Amino acid sequence: MGRLDEAAFAAFHAGTSRALRAYVYRVVGNPSDADDIVQEAFLRMLRADVPTDDEEHLRRYLYRVASNLIVDRWRHRRHEQGEDVMPEQVSARPRYEDDAAVAKVFGELKSRDRALLWLAYVEGESHEEIASSLGVGRRGVKVMLFRARRRLRDLLQARGLLVNS
Amino acid sequence: MTEWFDLNEADEKAIGAFMSRVANLRIPDPESRIPDSAQLWCKAKLLARWDAERRAQRPLDIMQPIEIAGGLVAAGVLLYLSFLA
Repeated sequence: MGRLDEAAFAAFHAGTSRALRAYVYRVVGNPSDADDIVQEAFLRMLRADVPTDDEEHLRRYLYRVASNLIVDRWRHRRHEQGEDVMPEQVSARPRYEDDAAVAKVFGELKSRDRALLWLAYVEGESHEEIASSLGVGRRGVKVMLFRARRRLRDLLQARGLLVNS
Repeated sequence: MTEWFDLNEADEKAIGAFMSRVANLRIPDPESRIPDSAQLWCKAKLLARWDAERRAQRPLDIMQPIEIAGGLVAAGVLLYLSFLA
């Protein structure tokens, strides 16, 4: 089992940083915070000196670190502001066709739900992979993901957006 | 492939369609200020070296006040003994 050298890290970074940033940004809703979290996640992964050069294993580890950093940030924000919504969230009724409205509806979900839905639908991860990425139990993921999907469905229903395309 | 708890098929399709819209949303500032891989590598190595130095320094930091206290106690004892003599 090898360890990551600089060249391997460069290739790994090139292959994962954009997707990781998209995930983190979509969950935290702020590009500056997303950049900080992505950078910190890579640094922590390198400093942990994970004893493998298997890309999938490292990717899981990276997402788990990033998810933990997101959770830390939620707690910090909740402590400071008592809220868990994206900064750009507004209460105006959105239109499904509008990208900004889609982002706003997604932003109305709790951060944990956004993370679960992103990993499941966008990254196409299995329950096991999500559990590994978020550092939670597999059975817990099934329940949490079901609830997240139900909350999204209720939200789309409430906004009259539950249409099949 | 992820297996789901049951939502009805129509809801499932709607959620899938909505999430595919979310996936394609533009991410602002694509040229972000995240350092490139070489910078990250150097920074991580630097931080690891500082950690190692701090770890190596820690026993010395702990021992220093103990040594000073020991010296003062010894000096006090010697002074006391010299008074007795």
